[in-house]
Amino acid sequence: MGKLHKKGKAGAAINYITRNQALKKLQVTLADFRRLCILKGIYPREPKNKKKANKGSTAPSTFYYAKDIQYLMHEPILGKFREYKTFAKKMAKVMSKGQYSTAKTLAENKPIYTLDHLIKERYPTFTDALRDLDDALCMIFLFATMPKTEKIKSETIENCQRLAAEFQHYILHTRSLRKTFLSIKGIYYQAEIKGQTVTWLVPYQFSQNVPTDVDFRVMLTFLEFHQTLCGFVNYRLYSDVNLVYPPTLDLKLDEGGAGMNALIIESTQSSANIAKTVNQSTTSTVAASLSKEEKQRLQESEKRIKALSGKIAHIQETEDNTTTAEIDQDADSAMDEFPAPLPNLDGTAAGTVTFTDIQRASQHLTHFQSLFSNCVIFLSREVPRYSLEFVLRALGAQVGWDAVLGEGSPFDENDDRITHQISDRPTQGHRFLSRQYVQPQWAYDCINAGKILVGDTYFVGKTLPPHLSPFVEAKEGDYVPDANQFEGQTEDLAIESDDEEEEDEEEDEDEDEEDADEDEDEDAEHKDLHQIELEAEAKGVAFTEFEAKENKKKIKATKAAKAAEPASTAPTTRSAGKKRTAAEAEAEEAKELAKIMMTNKQQKLYTKIQYGKNKKAAEVEKLTQKKEQLAKSAKASASKKAKK
Amino acid sequence: MPGTRPTRKATVPKAAPAPAKKTAPAPTKKAVVAPKSKKRTVEEAQDDSDDEFGEVAIDMASDDDDEDMDGDDESDDADDFPEEGEEGQDMSAADLDEDEDEDSEGSYMDGDSIADSQEELDDEDAEEEDESDFDDLVEDDIDPNFGHNLNEPLAPESDYNPIVREYPEIDPVYDSDSSTEENDNTVGNIPMHWYDDYPHIGYDIDGKKIMRPATGDELDKFLSTMDDPDSWLSAHNYKDGQDVKLSAEELEIIRRLEGNRIPDADYNPYEDQVEFFSSKTEIMPLSAAPEPKRRFIPSKHEAKRIMKIVRAIREGRIVPRKSGYVPPKPKYYNLWNDSEDKPREEHVMHITAPKMKLPTHDESYNPPAEYLPTEEEIKEWNEMDKEDRPKNYLPQKYNALRNVPGYGQFIQERFERCLDLYLAPRVRKNRLNIDPESLIPKLPSPRDLQPFPTRLAIEFLGHEGRVRSISVDPTGLWMASGSDDKTVRIWEISTGRCMATYHLDELVTSVVWGPSKEVAVLAVACGYKVGLILPEKLFSPELTLHSEEYLKAGFANVATGEPNPKAQWKQPTPAEFEKGIRVWVHLQKPVKQVTWHRKGDYFSTVAPDANNSAVLIHQLTKHQTQQPFKKNKGAVQRVMFHPTKPMFFVATQRYVRQYNLQRQELVKTMQTGVKWISSLDVHPAGDNLIIGSYDKRLCWFDLDLSSKPYKTLRYHQQAIRSVAYHKRYPLFASCADDGNVQIFHGMVYNDLLQNPLIVPVKILKNVHQRVDALGALCVEWHPTQPWLISSGADHTIKLFS
Repeated sequence: MGKLHKKGKAGAAINYITRNQALKKLQVTLADFRRLCILKGIYPREPKNKKKANKGSTAPSTFYYAKDIQYLMHEPILGKFREYKTFAKKMAKVMSKGQYSTAKTLAENKPIYTLDHLIKERYPTFTDALRDLDDALCMIFLFATMPKTEKIKSETIENCQRLAAEFQHYILHTRSLRKTFLSIKGIYYQAEIKGQTVTWLVPYQFSQNVPTDVDFRVMLTFLEFHQTLCGFVNYRLYSDVNLVYPPTLDLKLDEGGAGMNALIIESTQSSANIAKTVNQSTTSTVAASLSKEEKQRLQESEKRIKALSGKIAHIQETEDNTTTAEIDQDADSAMDEFPAPLPNLDGTAAGTVTFTDIQRASQHLTHFQSLFSNCVIFLSREVPRYSLEFVLRALGAQVGWDAVLGEGSPFDENDDRITHQISDRPTQGHRFLSRQYVQPQWAYDCINAGKILVGDTYFVGKTLPPHLSPFVEAKEGDYVPDANQFEGQTEDLAIESDDEEEEDEEEDEDEDEEDADEDEDEDAEHKDLHQIELEAEAKGVAFTEFEAKENKKKIKATKAAKAAEPASTAPTTRSAGKKRTAAEAEAEEAKELAKIMMTNKQQKLYTKIQYGKNKKAAEVEKLTQKKEQLAKSAKASASKKAKK
Repeated sequence: MPGTRPTRKATVPKAAPAPAKKTAPAPTKKAVVAPKSKKRTVEEAQDDSDDEFGEVAIDMASDDDDEDMDGDDESDDADDFPEEGEEGQDMSAADLDEDEDEDSEGSYMDGDSIADSQEELDDEDAEEEDESDFDDLVEDDIDPNFGHNLNEPLAPESDYNPIVREYPEIDPVYDSDSSTEENDNTVGNIPMHWYDDYPHIGYDIDGKKIMRPATGDELDKFLSTMDDPDSWLSAHNYKDGQDVKLSAEELEIIRRLEGNRIPDADYNPYEDQVEFFSSKTEIMPLSAAPEPKRRFIPSKHEAKRIMKIVRAIREGRIVPRKSGYVPPKPKYYNLWNDSEDKPREEHVMHITAPKMKLPTHDESYNPPAEYLPTEEEIKEWNEMDKEDRPKNYLPQKYNALRNVPGYGQFIQERFERCLDLYLAPRVRKNRLNIDPESLIPKLPSPRDLQPFPTRLAIEFLGHEGRVRSISVDPTGLWMASGSDDKTVRIWEISTGRCMATYHLDELVTSVVWGPSKEVAVLAVACGYKVGLILPEKLFSPELTLHSEEYLKAGFANVATGEPNPKAQWKQPTPAEFEKGIRVWVHLQKPVKQVTWHRKGDYFSTVAPDANNSAVLIHQLTKHQTQQPFKKNKGAVQRVMFHPTKPMFFVATQRYVRQYNLQRQELVKTMQTGVKWISSLDVHPAGDNLIIGSYDKRLCWFDLDLSSKPYKTLRYHQQAIRSVAYHKRYPLFASCADDGNVQIFHGMVYNDLLQNPLIVPVKILKNVHQRVDALGALCVEWHPTQPWLISSGADHTIKLFS
């Protein structure tokens, strides 16, 4: 007899701990526990057997993994929370007594906690951090557009704006944007950073109405963590591409509404030079001040120096901008050359295949990354610059904008170099002949299509083709909306495709009909067939299998025959239809019979899967029907118009 | 108020009460007092001589105390002096008569107003009046003052004339309390209305009644009030029934009480504190103890505390605050080591949060038109609960990007995501990614398993009731059917003609042909009896003759003695004999089933209601009946003889039991797992068995394998009524109340290791119409051909080939 096992000593009973037990164990309040869970990334679990996990009780409760809670016990932040609690008590006491000097000392020694170690703990490697960046970015981009309230401090918003701008700059600099999508919720962007796809959603730039039913304490705790994460990730990203982090903020441009352009991005080499010059100038001013000059003059000179350093930085940046294209091209060429030695290393056939694939992919990528490199695009005042500028510059375009949209535009509307102008208005008044006028959707569709689309479809004031999500990968049986959306000939195409389908059906019917008329044919080849049958039986092939094989052969033969004389089959289609249904019915019956022999478990699973499939099929069916109806009504209206 | 307060002197309050108020009543008092004082002066003059030397010693002593107190007061009151002096002057001017008194008592005068002094004068008057009554007993209390005056000329005091309040001296002799003196009534402090009904109001000290003083009527009262100017100052004393005039002092008290003030105007609740221990170095300190040493040396405790801090600073535990600007540490740095940039391997228990779902086409601001919801869909979406909605948005189309509004639910959705991240329990779910068609078992094609009946060949019409039972004769030419229309019909199978009809007097529940080819006999269960029929003209004369003899033989062999009450073998009436009925077996309960032994000599009947005699085995040749089971083990549904061995199967509601008839023992109990067995059939080889149940299941038992079903199939929509094996072909069939008949290929192999192969080959749908929730009632196979015959509640019999 095996060892007796006591109940509740192993397995789920000790693996899981309820929330209340956790609270007691950690001796924290629920609010603190929640904050801790958010920061540490601890989440409740659903044990397989709740009864076993809850010591026989079936009362509803939340379970945590016991080891998660165990690790929480010596979490430094937990200690900090406690310290803060005592600090708050002391402060309240001191303030109520009016001992303000003591309060000041206390305030100076206020316990502060940092989340650095949590980031490292939750994301041991940089790749892990990148994988989990989606939510962090969504939060930061949301809070960057939030209004200041009594709960949301302006520093938080500023920090979010800064982090968002820094991240966007990185995307621009490395040209890692891959997909964009204009949804009703906001704009989705997808970038590929170090092999990880990062997707984030940015709301349209309207003032967010702050709802009352949202607990901002929770959101701000998340934001706290996300900010730290994003900061560290940004640092790492910048340092990986030899950029200075944190980039300096040009206050003047920032005030002028330059958005992300207000950040001055410098590479580490150039920044060293700038630092030198700045240092020199400061030393000179110090000398000046030493030579007993007036305070006012000192201040002035300081101002001048600031402006100077700003200018230097700006110049540097513009230089960078102009040179980046070249640099990128160099990099691309380098990349193109890089895989060349690979086939030499492994000369197998498989290796060559992968090599070509890689080459093609890399070529495609470089092409994609410089999609807009030949475009000089001007944004009219009614388009969302914050998004379009980012999207266009991320793929190499030179972008200028109307002064209304903020400072810092490199060129104005009258510039001759402009190839495209994006405007979103019912009609375009004055037109430059040298440029194409397009609607904003053009830019996003170009990115998703991976090529520069013809601007005529997107001409100002025209009805736009539908904007499709680039994130949908159509599987078998899914509904695929009209693929040729860019042609704008949806109606005709639909009709054509219908016709084709009908033809196909006819073909099928013909085949079946031929199949059914087998008896007649059989007479002719009866003897041969009988012989072959006998042979097959001798070999041990089941009769039906044999028959099926024979049928296949016949079908092939008949197909060939039909190709020779397609007209002759037309009158017999009707009778063939009936027979086809009979064959179908037979197959169906066979299936039904086979289902009888399924076990109970299999039957349940089968029905479950079928349910899901049917649902999906119904949805697809609904969409296709709708589309057909729409096409019909469009046709009807068109014909009416024609009559008039 | 004589004697209400002991004689005390109080310092003059610095803030003198408003004089105007106090002086107001003065003139009137003067008017009243004046005559009295005159009178008193006379009395005094009389008394003076006597009382000069009474109690000098005593009074002197009391005076000393007073003087001490006064000494303090003088210094304090120095500032007030002129004012008080004035008052004093006024007063002296007013009361010339009393000058002497005033002077003599000046040092005691404490009072601040003329009114007070006046009152005191009144008091004195009163006292003197009293005293006049007790002249003999009481010494005059003014004497000491005179003595004082005589002994010590208090010039300075009289000079500034401090207004010191004076209370009348109380002569500390027996009964000096004057309050009781004039009170004759001895009833005490009782409610006086007790005396309302009596002419008297109490008793005097001698116990004599004090009569109620005469009181005038209201007019008199009124008149007296009009006459007496002091009437408004008087109050009624119920004790002696007289009006008493309130004194000015009493009025003052009332007034003060009304004003919520302390009744005694001279009481100062906020007297100055006397500082006995102060910073002033007293010339004459209260304590002469020398200063303790600890006042001169530094505190050890403080030194200790300081050292503690010093040590902490030295050790660096306390960092002194740095002055000036401290640059902040860099917020972000390279957190991740470059060397180990491999993504973490997932811990078994860690479940990563699922990423947000990526948007589909319908979330576009400009989706294809077919994605836009119709009005009904919008309505449905709006009516749905927020949690039930498949998507949290409705697809919308905007013509241009400039028309796209901000998304109102953005923050909520992000918040929900946050909640999901830290509140939603996570569970790892393995998604099955299998083709559902792979779940369907691969079965040999039915075509390979032919022959089996596929289509309706013949329909046998004629019955007018449910056809409960059918049976095919061993030659395969004839079929018998028993129906609820109380007839048994015999049909020719090949043509569908009805060859014979037997009208019986009860519902026919079971018809079975005898299995032997040498004897043509049909057993019919009909009500309480079982009849054995020899159909005429169907068989060859030899066979008929042989059968006739076979059936007759039993009557010759009838055992003598008491007939078995459970089964009585009887001869049919001549009319019945003419029809073809040869034997009747009468039972005690209605018979449900008859089944033959393979040799055709024995047959068994089932009468479920007949307790332990539910199953009976009858021997045809000897007309004997046996009762195989002593005990009833559940309601018997069906019985069956083993096709080759001396075995007997009994199906009760839930179990099938196999008995050995030779050894008379239970061989096996089969646990079917169904609720109610309806039918039973044994495979012709004898090793397998199928049962049908009312809960739609069909179970196949392999008798060698297990007592549990080898296969349980559930495919009928309604209760299974009948199951049957084919005698020759590997086929079996079932029929059910849903009107369907299902045909299976059931191959049993000779190899014991190989399981039987069961393949459904044909579903014959809606063979019989459902009538009163009954469909197909009985199925039977043709003994030699792969033909299936079924009968149903719609009065028809159908043959499928």
